Amino acid sequence: MSRVKVFFNSSVNSKIVASLAGLGLVGFVIFHMLGNLQVFEGRDAINGYASILRDMPIFLWTARAGLLAAAGVHVGLTLRLALRNRRARSVAYAARRYRAASVASRTMALTGSLLLAFIIFHLLHLTVGVIDPSAPDGLDTQGRMDVYGKIVRAFSNPLYVGIYVVGQLILGLHLSHAVSSVFQTWGIEHAALDHLFKLVGSGVALLVVLGNLAIIFAVFLGLLRA
Amino acid sequence: MITLDPNVPAGPLEMKWDRRRFSGQLVSPTNKRRIKIIVVGTGLAGASAASTLGQLGYQVECFCFHDSPRRAHSIAAQGGINAAKNYQDDGDSVARLFYDTIKGGDFRSREANVYRLAQISTQIIDQCVALGVPFAREYGGQLANRSFGGVQVSRTFYCRGQTGQQLLLGAYSALCWQIERGQVTMRPRTEMLDVIVADGHARGIVVRDLVTGRLSVHTAHAVVLATGGYSNVYYLSTNASGCNVTATCRAWKQGAAFANPSFTQIHPTAIPPIGDHQAKLTLMSESLRNDGRIWVPVSPSDRRPPHAIPPSERDYFLERRYPRFGNLVPRDVASRAVKAICDEGCGVGPGGQGVYLDFSDVIRQQGIDIVRERYGNLFEMYERITGENAYEVPMRIYPAPHYTMGGLWVDYNLMSTIPGLFVIGEANFADHGANRLGASSLMQGLADGYFILPYTIGHYLATVNSPPITEDHGASRAALERVKARLKKLLQGKGRRRTAASFHRALGKILWDHCGMSRRAAGIRGALEAIPSLREEFWRDVIVPGSGEALNQELEYAGRVADFLEFAELMCHDALHREESCGAHFREEYQTEDGEPRRDDDRFAYVAAWEYREGETPVLHKEPLNFEFVQPTTRSYQ
Amino acid sequence: MKFTLKIWRQRGPNERGGFVTYSVDEVSPDMSFLEMLDALNQRLIATAEEPVAFEHDCREGICGSCSLVIDGVPHGPDRGVTTCQLYMRRFADEKTITIEPWRAKAFPIIKDLVVDRRALDRIMQAGGYISVNTGGAVDGNTLLIGKDEAETAMDAASCIGCGACVAACKNASAMLFVAAKVSHLATLPQGKPERTRRVMAMVQAMDREGFGSCGNQYECEAVCPKHVSVRFIAMLNREYLRSGILGTKMPARSDPPHGESY
Repeated sequence: MSRVKVFFNSSVNSKIVASLAGLGLVGFVIFHMLGNLQVFEGRDAINGYASILRDMPIFLWTARAGLLAAAGVHVGLTLRLALRNRRARSVAYAARRYRAASVASRTMALTGSLLLAFIIFHLLHLTVGVIDPSAPDGLDTQGRMDVYGKIVRAFSNPLYVGIYVVGQLILGLHLSHAVSSVFQTWGIEHAALDHLFKLVGSGVALLVVLGNLAIIFAVFLGLLRA
Repeated sequence: MITLDPNVPAGPLEMKWDRRRFSGQLVSPTNKRRIKIIVVGTGLAGASAASTLGQLGYQVECFCFHDSPRRAHSIAAQGGINAAKNYQDDGDSVARLFYDTIKGGDFRSREANVYRLAQISTQIIDQCVALGVPFAREYGGQLANRSFGGVQVSRTFYCRGQTGQQLLLGAYSALCWQIERGQVTMRPRTEMLDVIVADGHARGIVVRDLVTGRLSVHTAHAVVLATGGYSNVYYLSTNASGCNVTATCRAWKQGAAFANPSFTQIHPTAIPPIGDHQAKLTLMSESLRNDGRIWVPVSPSDRRPPHAIPPSERDYFLERRYPRFGNLVPRDVASRAVKAICDEGCGVGPGGQGVYLDFSDVIRQQGIDIVRERYGNLFEMYERITGENAYEVPMRIYPAPHYTMGGLWVDYNLMSTIPGLFVIGEANFADHGANRLGASSLMQGLADGYFILPYTIGHYLATVNSPPITEDHGASRAALERVKARLKKLLQGKGRRRTAASFHRALGKILWDHCGMSRRAAGIRGALEAIPSLREEFWRDVIVPGSGEALNQELEYAGRVADFLEFAELMCHDALHREESCGAHFREEYQTEDGEPRRDDDRFAYVAAWEYREGETPVLHKEPLNFEFVQPTTRSYQ
Repeated sequence: MKFTLKIWRQRGPNERGGFVTYSVDEVSPDMSFLEMLDALNQRLIATAEEPVAFEHDCREGICGSCSLVIDGVPHGPDRGVTTCQLYMRRFADEKTITIEPWRAKAFPIIKDLVVDRRALDRIMQAGGYISVNTGGAVDGNTLLIGKDEAETAMDAASCIGCGACVAACKNASAMLFVAAKVSHLATLPQGKPERTRRVMAMVQAMDREGFGSCGNQYECEAVCPKHVSVRFIAMLNREYLRSGILGTKMPARSDPPHGESY
């Protein structure tokens, strides 16, 4: 067996690598949220931010490739672990009661899958733009791509607001267990700080979800207009 | 015909073991690979022996009836393990540990064995530390000690209240290593049902695979029994439910002498039995007696709750009878006093089986927090089992069978009267004489397994050179047939009426009443009449559902009860013949005016080794005990 | 007291199992859970029915034999105890109680409530030991071990190997069991020389046996009768990372003793 295969056959290694990839994705989600918050500074700011990104194709595509790879590794490894885990208990209990396991921790595979679906939807919707063809990429007065207009148009529609809000809740659930879990997986434990590690997970999840929801509801409630 | 040759090397006491090790012949490494040894049992003695023999290069086949070798009942020992390390510099030495053990055993053990045990004790600690046993440590990093069982020095090493567990896991890990190396073949869930003796030598065993029910013959150059004690003969004891006498009883029936079978230790501080449903007795640590005061109401008819009984109407009977030691008298003395007072009708709780162990005085004097800190976990355990809060109501305690000093007779080399059959740990009659001191059983099990047997078995293997017999050998086939016939007899018969447990309970009651803490000739004679008829009834009426071809726990159990029913008679013969009181063996006829045991060194300073005779009374053989180095004295705690 | 028991019955490893309902009455609140089952079995035996097979031995919470999932929780509703230490006064009268075996692919059922836990032994055989020969050990005080280290090692070493952690884990993972052993030996100086090889070998053995992976849900800790902490799982992960970085330089198998004679 090749060394790589041996390496990835180990459940602990798989978890460590999957968590590394996952952490990359978490970093992106935070970055993504912070960048998008510029929508509150007006059309000019966010459109300018988007055009700066687009003016650096090497950076943009490297980042995109990196994200794709991270997502691929994360999904691939966790999927394999999940399948193994399912096999590890072939007959289910007739009665089952959990004492410690949180809802978030028990539904990681489900929230992960839904999250993947949501991300694909989101990419097709706002990045590629095939979902809502009635809203072609417009240009702003300076000839830049009108990201601001796109956001406002999307979240004025209650259907999209609904989908995105649900998506955010799933993201929050997934992140809250994922981030606090990373400490354990990497062997970082401390009698006094363990409690803090747990809080970090919920904190990051809350931050990202609230930031993103702020944009959605600001548009939907009419605080941001076209 | 059995001859008892203790095989003790000549010379001064402290030189004997060295001389034996030097005079013993060695097996060459190449020959070791061709020699197979069977080890039965994986407690402290069995696991340490199997791992050490494997490490030496022998091919070892190891058997246990549990699902894993780690579950043997050594795991339940709480207190600690003695060793004459003298780390505390409080005057301990090999000689002192030797003397304490000999005296504690009431001068009924072999001097040379006990001295060797004390010598080896220090090595055991080193070995266990090397294996990763997490002994308690001082802040400076040195090994911690505590004093235990009323001795005057601190020589007990411990791992919280789980010393037995940690020592066993240490031995189990060593065994795991040898299994991984292929030196030991482990066969869990396999019960030994007979021993094969060919040409006068033990050459193998018959076992039953408990999962498939398959019987098979395993042959070897030598057989080691490490199958523990038989306190479960009393039905209720502190032993695990699986503990049994089957292996040693079968060996006895094949010609191994059984020594001092009536020497059984009764531990004073167990939680009392409360009803017929009870399956076992739970031990409370002896340390509780350091602070608790034991009492019963003066009047047997007093049915008031304990707090309503004024001090003037309480009988602190241990303090009254033993003013010098009070509640801290040794195990056997305390147990007897408790039983005596309960027999007078003063006992408390269900069935009058129990005395109060009261902490109200110490709580008043030192505060509840001190008591909680010292005994919190024990109080918690007590509450879980009884539903009573011992901070508010006194605990109730009652003695429980705990350890058996008796066992198969072995010589200095730990070999039984069947050449090639070695017996180690609690299964042999050992070094504890008529009474065992606290924290000595772990020491003995590991001394036998790690350090003594691996030497002495080598000498046997080097001097007796005959290849193992085959499975088709007449002796193998005969043993297999014996086992088959017996299982068939247990399983056959319809319309039977009683469960094995009901027979076991009945047997336990007979023994507890007549061959328990105190015995008298008339009672034992009564038991000797009752047991055979109970046994007859057992074979006629016992119900064993299911078949022998699958996991059948009731079949296993019934087989063990059948052996207890045979063995109990032997215990009674031994108890009847020993017309003296010594250690745990208390004959009511032989006591002083104030109720203290009277030992008779002129007539009974010997080991009673019993030979099995089919259909006859067992035959007594005596190994005289000569005390060259210590002078027997009277134990007095008044 | 009276109870209705729904008990998993399965005649053998390859047979189909199912729940059988029994009612037990005249149960004393002072009975332990296993004594209640004993009473049921006595009744079954008396009518020549096969009793319910379940594992038990010491009945004082240390041997790790008993292994029942009671109403969906391994070892039942009390915390920090084994099944044998559970008493009937803990249950409401006339309750229906569901009793199942440990369920994991690595623990195949042998009969009724008895499962085969040899997988745990095999993990131990892969490396859960210190390779030290009998005899010639240095004095126990030669290597000093601080009290805190000794206590940490003891916390980990108190695992009784019952497998409740596996039974409770959604993924049927044995991480807490493995972590307890690895942490115990890695904490002590005597265990350090082999720590790299040990953690690698034990994790590999664990994966090979078909246990799931750790989901950091800590259900194991919540049912552990000895309160073994999940912090040891973090310690195991750390040991594993460390071994991955340092690599293993030890031979996979030790030389046989008396090598010169071969």
